[in-house]
Amino acid sequence: MARLTIFIQGLLRWVSILALLAAWQAFAEAHVVSSFLLPAFSTVVVRLYHDVISGDMVLGIVLTLYRAFAGFALASMSGIVIGILIARVPLMRWFFDPLVSVGLPMPKIAFLPVFILWFGVFDASKILMVAFSAVFPVVVASWAAAENVEPVLLWSALSLGAGRRQLLWEVALPASLPQIFTGLQVAMPIALIVEIISEMAMGGEGLGGSIMTEMRFADSPGVFAGILAIAIVGATLVKAMEVIRHRLLIWHPEALAG
Amino acid sequence: MKSTLTRYTPLLLLAVLWEIAPRLGFIDPQTLPPLSAVARAWIGLLRDGDLATNGLSSLQNLVAGLALGIVVGVVLGISMAWYRPIEVLINPLIRVLYPLPRSALIPVMILWFGLGAASKIAAVFLGCLLPVVIGAFNGARGVEQVLIWSALAAGAKRHQVLWEVVLPAAMPEILAGIRNALALSFILLVAAEFIISQRGMGYLISSYGEGGAYDAMFAGVLTVSAVGFFADRAYLALMGWALRWRG
Amino acid sequence: MGISFREVSHTYRPPRGRPVLALENVSLDVREREFLALLGPSGCGKSTLLYLLGGFLPVEAGTITVGGRPVSGPGPDRGIVFQNFALFPWKTVRQNILYGLEKQRLPRAAREKRAQDLIELVHLRGFENSYPAQLSGGMKQRVAIARTLAIDPAILLMDEPFGALDAQTRALMHEELLAIIRRTPKTVVFVTHDVREAVYLADRVAVMSARPGRIKEIVDTSFGGARGSEIAGTREFTEKVEHLWGLVRNEAIIAQERQGS
Repeated sequence: MARLTIFIQGLLRWVSILALLAAWQAFAEAHVVSSFLLPAFSTVVVRLYHDVISGDMVLGIVLTLYRAFAGFALASMSGIVIGILIARVPLMRWFFDPLVSVGLPMPKIAFLPVFILWFGVFDASKILMVAFSAVFPVVVASWAAAENVEPVLLWSALSLGAGRRQLLWEVALPASLPQIFTGLQVAMPIALIVEIISEMAMGGEGLGGSIMTEMRFADSPGVFAGILAIAIVGATLVKAMEVIRHRLLIWHPEALAG
Repeated sequence: MKSTLTRYTPLLLLAVLWEIAPRLGFIDPQTLPPLSAVARAWIGLLRDGDLATNGLSSLQNLVAGLALGIVVGVVLGISMAWYRPIEVLINPLIRVLYPLPRSALIPVMILWFGLGAASKIAAVFLGCLLPVVIGAFNGARGVEQVLIWSALAAGAKRHQVLWEVVLPAAMPEILAGIRNALALSFILLVAAEFIISQRGMGYLISSYGEGGAYDAMFAGVLTVSAVGFFADRAYLALMGWALRWRG
Repeated sequence: MGISFREVSHTYRPPRGRPVLALENVSLDVREREFLALLGPSGCGKSTLLYLLGGFLPVEAGTITVGGRPVSGPGPDRGIVFQNFALFPWKTVRQNILYGLEKQRLPRAAREKRAQDLIELVHLRGFENSYPAQLSGGMKQRVAIARTLAIDPAILLMDEPFGALDAQTRALMHEELLAIIRRTPKTVVFVTHDVREAVYLADRVAVMSARPGRIKEIVDTSFGGARGSEIAGTREFTEKVEHLWGLVRNEAIIAQERQGS
């Protein structure tokens, strides 16, 4: 019975989205506003299709994803290491605590021109900008996770004969994984957003850059097609993270309950 | 007080490093002007009105977009929780917009409103809207049924219950959503100003950067960062005061 | 491998707030193969004493020796079972039990066999590949016990191991524990606040005072070697329970009053 309810809920969700798209289409066809301001959904989809077929869109997606991932990977690795170190080494905590607490609410995108100054106008500056923005949630999550490992887990391992080094890899890390992964799930959309903003500000190739070019040419369907592409890419990434989480954390109560 | 000072000592160390390293040549002073030069540039910006003009423009647009987002967001979120037809109507819109980075909509804003303040306000508005709607919706939905029944039993009319019970009870979630929106508003405003240029702190930063006046550029970056930081802190204090009944 | 506590004191230093004297000059001997219960009201430091013996907390004042040698850190000679099971949630039942065996560097075949034997011993056949999140409280505790027993420690430390279980499961676990001890005798130090449990399981019960914890009295509950269901309804049993209950009750009242003021 519960399965049926979940199925129906999922169905309703799709139904309402389809209803929304139908409304968009009807609205556009009624020409309530000019097709420049709001091209019909059908027009946008056709345009997206053509862009994908021609290869331009694919290139843009690949470039954007490459830079976003590179920055995300950088942020993940350094963030996890820094976060865990902060939790375990008092000197690191003393040094990084104010940096993190000040850096977190800052609009880090303001640093984009700084990164351009330091690293030029090509990939490096974008990747590092992404990493700089995405590292903060990863550090915070890893720090909290490492700090909250239950002592009894560590003690059990010790009394079973584990060495200090093994404690970190065999107990602390797996125990921290759920929370760390949540941090990664927060950082991933940030990476995508920052990458897109950087492209829009700097121009060139990539999803964000293409949209800006199309905007300058007043190519309204092109702009909307680009946004649709971003939406699809964004949703796919979020879903992918959820699937990975489920696989990785198969042992977690939340996974087993559902 | 003392603990606050010791807590932020590493920042002081970094500031000292920022001053010394470029001066001693460890870092190219072209790419990182010494902190004192940045400070001097900041004073210069203040004096010739550059900071004021752009800062004010940014502030105006930010506050306008944020305020609009909060008001519409709260009304929408609570209405969704209270009136089922509204929820059915708006929910899919939210679901669709949620995974879409709102900054991606900046070009659409430019298409619609041109290269001016309206686009920036619209961008900020859209960015702020969703966290507030979701916060208000979840907060209102999560209000314990028994609270509502108690109010009704005491003679309150339905719409009174909405304002006098549901809204206050949903406040923690609403305020948390607004905090989120606040951070996002800064990001969207700066991003929009980078892209649209013309006026504002984003414009100030990027134009000085392009012009090679890096000390002024850094001054702008620090200003924006500081304002963002203190805005969040101030908001936290406000939130703490507003929710002091929580204990 | 007798255990000896001499003038052991311990101060608890929280990161914020004032230090608190948890234990004061505790002296106690535990004979080899003896089942000793540490009984006392909440906060009397009985768990702290256990953790000091386990080597999880440093001994700052006094000495604790095991087999004549002072305790210095945790080790496989003193296995521990915690109240909230402390199972590794990302490992299956079998993997949890295998953990200590892997640390001991047993050859693969021997490890697997021993793990299987223990799974049988605690009646968990069929659940080898389940994760802790899929098990009931009683089952989780049995895994925890199996995991500790796997490395065959001479001393077994138990920190209110059945406190999180319902009354019926607890009663079953008592029988299982006694059966296990009968098969492979060990020195057991068992912390509890449940008087009846202490009298039922232990050879001797050491009653601790309210904080700062001191040994108030030690009562013999060996019942001349009889165990389990034989002793449960006897007059001697009831008398001992009442006597101990009176002791603990006084200390509990003192602890409560101190908390209130």
